[in-house]
Amino acid sequence: MASLLPQPELEPSPDVSPEFRRKKRRKTEEKPAYYHRMQGNQRMNRWRTGREQQIYSSKLIEALRRHSPRTSSSANGNDVRNTAYRVLAVSAKGTTRWSRAILISRLSAKVRKHKKSKVISANRKSRKPASNREKRKLPVVERKLMALGRLVPGCQKISFSNLLEETSDYIAALEMQVRAMTAITGFLAVANDGGAQPPADRLGSNANS
Amino acid sequence: MSSRRSRSRQSSGSRITDDQIIDLVSKLQQLIPELRGRRSDKVSASKVLQETCNYIRNLHRQVDGLSDRLSQLLASTDTDSDQAAIIRSLLME
Repeated sequence: MASLLPQPELEPSPDVSPEFRRKKRRKTEEKPAYYHRMQGNQRMNRWRTGREQQIYSSKLIEALRRHSPRTSSSANGNDVRNTAYRVLAVSAKGTTRWSRAILISRLSAKVRKHKKSKVISANRKSRKPASNREKRKLPVVERKLMALGRLVPGCQKISFSNLLEETSDYIAALEMQVRAMTAITGFLAVANDGGAQPPADRLGSNANS
Repeated sequence: MSSRRSRSRQSSGSRITDDQIIDLVSKLQQLIPELRGRRSDKVSASKVLQETCNYIRNLHRQVDGLSDRLSQLLASTDTDSDQAAIIRSLLME
């Protein structure tokens, strides 16, 4: 980091450069194993704290309230789901691969929508993996590992131990997401019922008695 | 073409050792509520992986259902701003 200061013209934004160098290092070499194991459990357990759930709930509500006045006609279920995943990925603060993959895929989906290019996704889906008929059946465990890698976003071709990390973090995050959304739904349902039914029942019962 | 590439890649590093499999299985087993009670030597690796995939799919389905329900609720609560304040105050217990 000291070498950055005498050469300011190489890196135009010196305050971004430490993260920049960290990102470059991540591409070339893996992080050491102890780093993963030490921080893995801590990272996973943060999804279990009530505080994280509150943070996520408030962020989600903010995001939903920002979206719905714009599209007053449709509070679409798909839009809500994408917003929920996006807020979840943001809450991960870029530490995990699946969160980065979610955010990147949202960005590229927006770009694709603007450009209106349909060719890319069609090509990717029509590619056949077993076109040569080699009859090489992978062992069962490896096949299931690949299936697992396909389920966790952005984890199709990563190493074994990384997949384990990502899976455990992803599962913990998903559980928190379900808890938070259940709580929000419960509150909204109560608020809806409380607002929609004025105390006419009480008046009716009073009049009867 | 892709199968040829994957074959060459498999020889280098992705030979998964048995220790790694045992490690993965024990760790995943702690996460999945179904398999937590069982003893680790009775559950096979493929079963753990299968249950993990099923569990993640289940969670996805729950999120989808919840988001549909949320969108319906949001469509009917759009009006009041003090309702939002109530919700926020309830959440910030």
